[in-house]
Amino acid sequence: MFGLIKTWKALEARGIMGINRRNADYVLKYNKRHLYPIVDDKIITKERALAAGIHVPEMYGIIETEKQIEKLDEIIGGRSDFVIKPAQGAGGDGILVIADRFEDRYRTVSGKIISHEEIEHQISSILTGLYSLGGHRDRALIEYRVTPDQIFKSISYEGVPDIRIIVLMGYPVMAMLRLPTRQSGGKANLHQGAIGVGVDLATGLTLRGTWLNKIISKHPDTTNAVDGVQLPNWDGFMKLAASCYELCGLGYIGVDMVLDQDKGPLILELNARPGLNIQIANDCGLTQRTHAIEAHLEMLAKEGRSEDAEQRVKVSQGLFGHVHPQ
Amino acid sequence: MRSLTLHLKVLITVLVVLGIAITAYQIFALGIPVTEDETDDLWNIDAKVEFVASAKDPVKVQMFVPPLNRDYVSLNESFISNNYGVSVNRADGNRKVTWSARRASGNQTLYYRLVLTKRYSTEKAKIKGPTFRDSLAVEGPEKIAAEALMAPIRQHSADVETFVSETIKRVNNANDDNAKLLLAGDNSPLKKAQVIDLLLSIAHVPLEKVHTIRLVADTPQSPELWLRSFNGNDWLYFNPETGEQGLPSDRLLWWTGDDNLITVDGGKKATVTFSMNNSEMNAIRLAKLTDENTDADFLEYSLYGLPLQTQQTFMIMVMIPIGVLVILVLRNLIGIQTLGTFTPVLIALAFRETQLGFGIILFTVITALGLSLRSYLEHLKLQMLPRLSVVLTFVVVLIAAISLFSHKLGLERGLSVALFPMVILTMTIERLSITWEERGGGHAMKVAVGTLFAASIAHLLMTVPEAVYFVFTFPAVLLILVGFMLAMGRYRGYRLTELVRFKAFLKKADA
Repeated sequence: MFGLIKTWKALEARGIMGINRRNADYVLKYNKRHLYPIVDDKIITKERALAAGIHVPEMYGIIETEKQIEKLDEIIGGRSDFVIKPAQGAGGDGILVIADRFEDRYRTVSGKIISHEEIEHQISSILTGLYSLGGHRDRALIEYRVTPDQIFKSISYEGVPDIRIIVLMGYPVMAMLRLPTRQSGGKANLHQGAIGVGVDLATGLTLRGTWLNKIISKHPDTTNAVDGVQLPNWDGFMKLAASCYELCGLGYIGVDMVLDQDKGPLILELNARPGLNIQIANDCGLTQRTHAIEAHLEMLAKEGRSEDAEQRVKVSQGLFGHVHPQ
Repeated sequence: MRSLTLHLKVLITVLVVLGIAITAYQIFALGIPVTEDETDDLWNIDAKVEFVASAKDPVKVQMFVPPLNRDYVSLNESFISNNYGVSVNRADGNRKVTWSARRASGNQTLYYRLVLTKRYSTEKAKIKGPTFRDSLAVEGPEKIAAEALMAPIRQHSADVETFVSETIKRVNNANDDNAKLLLAGDNSPLKKAQVIDLLLSIAHVPLEKVHTIRLVADTPQSPELWLRSFNGNDWLYFNPETGEQGLPSDRLLWWTGDDNLITVDGGKKATVTFSMNNSEMNAIRLAKLTDENTDADFLEYSLYGLPLQTQQTFMIMVMIPIGVLVILVLRNLIGIQTLGTFTPVLIALAFRETQLGFGIILFTVITALGLSLRSYLEHLKLQMLPRLSVVLTFVVVLIAAISLFSHKLGLERGLSVALFPMVILTMTIERLSITWEERGGGHAMKVAVGTLFAASIAHLLMTVPEAVYFVFTFPAVLLILVGFMLAMGRYRGYRLTELVRFKAFLKKADA
């Protein structure tokens, strides 16, 4: 009992945010319910992003009804690699990544050979709402398959590493690089076993990582160091993330981005309830940072001005950047 | 944000204060018992009247019955008599029943039955009584003896109370010649009462004879004589033989005055035998019963005013918020993961039918079998609705099979399953299997165990009889619960499991 109180006090002192605080002080306060569909439906997110001139993976087509599944071939055209996603899927479930095709067979990114019928069944499952939040009918999205930048080759196992930046009212607060592992099956979700690596907001240099709630500094599959890696085009990522506030209007979001070999930083999806493991990855609590942003916003409100995405990135980098590894 | 916090605080305060105030009012002002265990004695008194009727004359039997105007309240009163007309009338604070018949012969038996209990409300009626009376006429040696007795009594007393008890003591003193003379060799309580009455009348102290019945189960008895005097505020009761003051709490006043208990016209050999027994009854039910006979209508607007069937449903319903509260605490304070938000509460309700241990086994078995069916169906690549329907049907068949099987084995418990909500089970299976696929078997197990654990705790708390009684009797408690839930709505501290989850931070800090 005494130990627990001590742990509590220590976590509080370090500004570690718990789920209750995240929900009460940030998600409920800054995220208006009626805006959720924008982030919950990847198709809407994509349309909004395109309208705002923000880079997203190219969309090949949408399948809305069972009848339209016939049009799959037409949508794919001559492409040999693509991704099928549920529009309202959660946590990366129901995503099918096709890396190659030959005649009637497809090869997924993990090397499994599947038939056309199996793809059609997968789409049918997506449409019935198997992967959607709350089991509603859903739409299937067929889009460009991201080829990760070579920089990640040494610290990633299969799949596509992505970058998650938590953005409060348009100000990036904390960033993390998520690396798939053998255990996560090529997926970049931490609760499925992916590694989260903290990223310095100012420089884009990686810090140490978290894997299954433990702090690590080497990738468990490749044994390469995950810290000290310079992410290319970091300011581009930061600006992209910061501009997502205007895109969706939600005040507290997690922006998931990828670095494509050819197309550079792309927005994958937005999350209205970003997880808390990013704190372990950065070895830093969120509360102090969010409080700093809230104080900054209060000051701006007093002065009666607002800042654009570029200025916000500067503010965040000034406040939270240049972390020295302990 | 701040105004919202203030708003919330005010709301919570109002709700909690309201809840406490209503409950306190019910407990302290209305005197509703706090636990179900509080029972009151319920007395069942039978007075059996026997006499021999003479064939020629019409029969008229008059008997005193308790006036019931002070500490007791009657729940039921009946006069059992074939062919007799019955009427009850009040006179001088007494109640008298009159049985009458034009023609009767031979041995006659009449019954008077009274079910009574102590009066529920503490309110006291205003009591009136005489404080002065004229002296009884007394002549000759008696007069001298009486006056001789009076002198020391006056000397040894200060007020009505001490005067009466001193008088009783003197009359009961067997060595006192004056007392002996007045009693004239008759040592019966009735004679003593007469002498005491005479002496007190000389001092103008009013006195009444009171005939009481002792509320003792299964002992035959006859009315016991007590004396009472009015001191201006209250009646003072005295035992004519011992001078003992104060009527014991188990005495029931049957009638007052000098008349006999029973008078029979047109009959002879009248006897009255009393028999009584007592039973205990839940205080609140008793209050409900007495409610109809008294002016205490505080239960009128409580849940006890509902029909019994509905009451039983409500007894379950009022406990659901308690179950929900358990889930709230387990999820938001402890951080246990459960399937869905209120699924555990529904499972807890299902446990009512099956009992806890059996319910857990049943739940586990059906869910495990359902999961294996679900994983088989996965290969068939079915759409969601048809698949769910198949699983539901399978669950129904499974429950039927278990019922049949346990019935054949002689386990009646198995039959209770029939009401185990199948839809809940089906949804549990479906969700669990999706969780299994998405998050892996370990996580699914964790969630399943968490759900069962939460359901068990909720079930145990929801079925504590004292708690059920308390919430059902004092529904305002739910307002306090709502206050707590509202407060939880803005709780932003850590969950217990987060302390473990974020331990990595501290290990680093120590190193």
